[in-house]
Amino acid sequence: MQLRQITVPLSLAILLAVGCAKPPSEQIEAAEKALKEAQQSGAATYSAEEYAKLEGSLTALRKEVSEQDGKFALFRDYGKVEQLAAAAKTEGERVRTDSLKKKDEAKAAALQAQQVAQEAVNSTLALVGKAPVGKDRAALEAIKMDVDTLKASLNQIQTSIDREDYPAAQSQAKAIHEKSQAVSAEIQSALAKVGKRKSSVSKK
Amino acid sequence: MAGGICVLLLAGCVPAVPPDLIAEIEAIDQDLVALRAPEAAPEDYTRFARQWVALKARVQADDDLIRWPWESNDLENELRQLHGEGWSTVSRLNRLQAAQRQQAESALSRLEARFLSITSHVESIEGRIALGGKPVHTDLLLKQARSFFDQKDYPRAIHTAEQAGHALATQTAALIKEVGRYADNQQITTWQAIAKQTVDWSRIHQSTAIVVSKAERELTLYKNGRKVLSYPVRLGFNGIRAKRFQGDGATPEGRYRVTDLRGAGQTQFYRALVLDYPNAEDRWRFRLAQKSGTIAPTSRIGGQIEIHGRENELMAQTLGCIMLDNADMAALFAQVSTGTPVTIVGAVTRENAVAKALAHLGSHTTDL
Repeated sequence: MQLRQITVPLSLAILLAVGCAKPPSEQIEAAEKALKEAQQSGAATYSAEEYAKLEGSLTALRKEVSEQDGKFALFRDYGKVEQLAAAAKTEGERVRTDSLKKKDEAKAAALQAQQVAQEAVNSTLALVGKAPVGKDRAALEAIKMDVDTLKASLNQIQTSIDREDYPAAQSQAKAIHEKSQAVSAEIQSALAKVGKRKSSVSKK
Repeated sequence: MAGGICVLLLAGCVPAVPPDLIAEIEAIDQDLVALRAPEAAPEDYTRFARQWVALKARVQADDDLIRWPWESNDLENELRQLHGEGWSTVSRLNRLQAAQRQQAESALSRLEARFLSITSHVESIEGRIALGGKPVHTDLLLKQARSFFDQKDYPRAIHTAEQAGHALATQTAALIKEVGRYADNQQITTWQAIAKQTVDWSRIHQSTAIVVSKAERELTLYKNGRKVLSYPVRLGFNGIRAKRFQGDGATPEGRYRVTDLRGAGQTQFYRALVLDYPNAEDRWRFRLAQKSGTIAPTSRIGGQIEIHGRENELMAQTLGCIMLDNADMAALFAQVSTGTPVTIVGAVTRENAVAKALAHLGSHTTDL
């Protein structure tokens, strides 16, 4: 009787201990999933330092799991693993959200820069449209070629945006905007020189 | 007594981790981020970040708060090691960034100066059209590289500067290809021979003749084989090239004659000498170009090439004609008659302006 009174609770305790010695697989998988989703959101680019720290958190988690796994079942305690997994999941979700936000901001800035560049080129094209025809057009022929090149260069901005290389898109847009303004100034100077007389078309 | 012993024992305890050490490692982390370590040294930063996160978790664990002085402190040792490695990475990245900055600045300054030089030479020989869109393409790349430099993204600035360097080399090569004939001895010899024949005709026929050198933008009037006067001229907006079709802005080269003189009220350009372009050789060359496909089949050969004055004082270029200041035109008009030969050549000397510009550009090709 005494032996049974000791054995049953002891057996129950052992069973409980063995049962509690399993790693929290679902929480660990959730943490790993959060890391993967952060990576897919572009966190390595847009939140590089936070993503690196998130990787550190997962490394610490995996290390703790490995340490507990290496212990005798009765001595395993996955409480810390649960804490680390929960923290990593939360952190991963935050990094993903932050990364997506930064990516959206970068894209918005690139689109804005593209718009500004497009407007500058359109403005320059409008000036070219005021260029005289006939003998007076000689002064503007070289400039017109520059404007055509600028117009074609706008495609590069879209290509960069499509590749999600938003810093490149912004720098290209800024360069086109600056050059458009310079060409516009040159056209206005040339128009002032040519004057306002209309001329007939000639062969040449 | 027992309480006193406990106090003494506790007084001898030391924190598991010096707080200053934690703050220093945080500062190193911030320095690494500021140095763009995740991009510049991704493996080093990832290793640092992983270790830092793991150690911070241990620091926050309860059983590491205090220790006896004689106890070994693995946690502090690992933190100090991390501190050392992080500091080493910061130092290395600082040196790397300084080197990259210098490399980017040097490349950009050199290329920007080179671009300005080429642009200046191209403008001086009015060869802008000959290069098409290449100068704009190069200029955009230089602006992009400078933009990356200003943002301290030195790797991108260097990469974009390299692209600009290639574009500049392509631009220089294109210019040499387009106007290289002005530096070709055989071509110059041919032009010199043609010009001499015109001068000889003037001497033999005791008459006037005109020779125009496109490279020097100079018109010379000969009378009885002797040089009488010389005037600066402006050409077509693409005057430096050989004429190929109507509207290309080039000034033709060849042997022509004055077919008509247009005086005051007969031309919008003060005075004008009408030439017989296109002549038979021009037509033959045009048909050949169309046949070979170098010009479009819908192209037209053009015409109405003249030597004329200025419509207004601000006109700088023509559509293909040869333009003089009105005072010079008046003097020339008075000495020329219908039938006067007009020979237009690329150059009459080897040391012509275009050849000199090409020599200058060619000598700096290695700078790219």
